[in-house]
Parts: sequence; C-alpha cells; structure tokens
Amino acid sequence: MSDAAPTASPRRRQVLFLVVFGVLLAGSFTLLSVNWVNDHAVEPFTAGVARVSGAALRLLGQDVTLDGTVLRSPDFAVNIENGCNGVETMLIFMAAVLAFPASWRSRLAGLAIGLVAIQGVNLVRVVALFLTGAYLPGFFDASHTVIWQTLVILSGVLLWLLWASRFALPARA
Amino acid sequence: MTGKAASRGAGGAEGGTGRRRWAWRLVRNTVLWLIPAAALWALLTPSYNRFLELAGQNLVRLTESPDATRLLPRDDHYAAISRLDLPPSREVVGSLRVTDLHFPAILLVALFLAVPDVPWKERLAALGLALVVSAVFHVLLVLFWVKFTYATQLGDWSLARYGAFARNFWGLGKHLLDLPVKLALPFLLWTWFYLDRLLPRGEEA
Repeated sequence: MSDAAPTASPRRRQVLFLVVFGVLLAGSFTLLSVNWVNDHAVEPFTAGVARVSGAALRLLGQDVTLDGTVLRSPDFAVNIENGCNGVETMLIFMAAVLAFPASWRSRLAGLAIGLVAIQGVNLVRVVALFLTGAYLPGFFDASHTVIWQTLVILSGVLLWLLWASRFALPARA
Repeated sequence: MTGKAASRGAGGAEGGTGRRRWAWRLVRNTVLWLIPAAALWALLTPSYNRFLELAGQNLVRLTESPDATRLLPRDDHYAAISRLDLPPSREVVGSLRVTDLHFPAILLVALFLAVPDVPWKERLAALGLALVVSAVFHVLLVLFWVKFTYATQLGDWSLARYGAFARNFWGLGKHLLDLPVKLALPFLLWTWFYLDRLLPRGEEA
C-alpha cells in the first residue's frame, strides 16, 4: 500500500494486488462479524441509511414511518439489514482502492468519491425495493437479491475500473 | 463488443489516455452485456441448482459417516436440508436458497465478455476457466451453508456435536464465503486475468 509501486514485473504487481486485496477484504469482513463492531458501527450506520431512505420515500409522496431500521407504510414494510446497507460493496471497493498501486492522494480522493457514489446507488436500491414491495410484491424477492445486489456490486466494480485506469502508478524500472 | 486484435496495452503507446479510453469501453460493454448475461443465468439456474444440490450433498457426505445429509429440491430456487438419522417429523433441519449462491455469475459473465481488444477465443477461454473456478466455489459454499446449519442452528443437537472451535470455524467460514468472497469473486477472477491492462508499463514512468 505504499505510494510507489515496489516491483517492475506486471505479474508480480498483479499477484501483490490480489494478496493485499484478499487480506484487506478478509480482515474487514472478519471485523464486521464481531458483535461489538456490528452494534456500535454497522447498526447505527444502517439506521442512518434507513433515515435517508425514509426521507427520500417521503419526498416521492410515500406515507412512510421509520422505526429503527424498519421502513413502514400502510401497504408494505421492510427492515433494512446487513446486506442492504451498501457496506459490503463499500468494503470491496475500499480494499481494491487500497491494494492498487496509486498515490495516497489518489486513493483518498477515490475513496471519498467512490464511497459516496456507492451509497447513492444503494439509496436508489432501497427506494426502488420499497416501491417494488409496495406495488409489485411478486418481484420483490428477485429484485432484492439478484437484481439490486448485482447492480450495487457492479457500481463498485465499474467505479474502481474508472478510478484505476486514471490513477495507476507506473512500476519502478 | 467486438474482439479486435489483442494489443496487450490498454496502456501501450497511448499510455494513460489509452488506458482510460479502454476502461470506459470496458464499462460500456459490461453494462451492455448485463442483460444477455442475466437472461442466460436465469435460463440455466434451475439445472445448475440441481447440480449444486447433488454435488454439495456428495461433498457434505464426505465429512460424515454414515451418510446422513440429503439436499432436497423444493422448487427452482430452494433446497431443504434434511438428515436421514432424525425422525421423519424432524428430518428437515433447514433450507437454503441455492439461487442466491451464484447470482454474481451474471457480473462475472458480463465482465469477462466485455473486455475490449481481446480476441473472442481468448475471452471465452478465460471466461470458461473463471466459470469452473466459480462452480468449485459454489459447491464449497453449499458445504459451508449445511455445516453452518448443523453447527449453529439446531440448539442442543448442535451443542452436543460441535465444539466451540467447530462452531466458530463453520460460522465465520460461511460468513466470509457467503459475503465478501461470493460478491468479490467475479472481480477477483477478472483482475487475475486482466489487471495488467490497467497497469502502466515501466517505460511510462
């Protein structure tokens, strides 16, 4: 994770990227599985996602009330849980940015913009899922896992590709 | 989405500009490939689920003697986890949405078919290899789901047969495989084949 790429061989840089990415990913998700981290970081964050999603739904004219992480309307209720808060994609994106050979300045800029963008996509997902549940309940299951999970992960991967193509540091000769 | 002659360098003579243009084409192609990839995945899902149930059941049985586990298809998406050594009224101990184990394959197919400036033959060979690795991973994930159910979800039955280490091993293993590894696998495999195209040559320094 140093600013200067340490090796010249593209294959070695590739392997180094994969190793660092894997370690960061496993470490961050192991941390997430600790109850204390879940209770003191993930749950409050998820409650924040629920609050913002509730506000967005009210802007769209939905009669929504919020109870912790549960969004409820007369037609439908949904509990925003781990997996629906965008944290997984944020961690994958973060690990990929930190593992890639780029300057720290580029990494910090990438993280700041990328994480906000991923949360933007996740907000669209929660709002769209709520509306799907309320008006097209037959499509909710497929939308919930397959469609939106894929789209949120895709957004993280594509953002990383665009960032990496711009900020990659050359290897030392 | 056409395959031109391979030029190993999104970052070749054109340097950073070429790399950025290549990445934008990759992004566009990935989005375009998403719907065909999703359609193919949806078409193959029922058969692939049967394969995973059978392969997963055989893998779980390698860890037990005598054979006790049965994975029974409930519909196109769900499988029931059942044990032959429990009374018939209690033999179903859990269920598993098999489809949820492999939907990231949509992203994998789209990403691998979208790579610009790589001949079709090379793209398809890389995709084939990535799909084989993914299939092995999916079978392993079935094993972890079933063992996680046995080790942590069956109350006294779990406590009597699995110690603290085993419960943590299967629990953390399932957590890591089912979230980060499953979701990041398409990206990981893609970078294994194509990351060098995003890296500048040494002479660009």
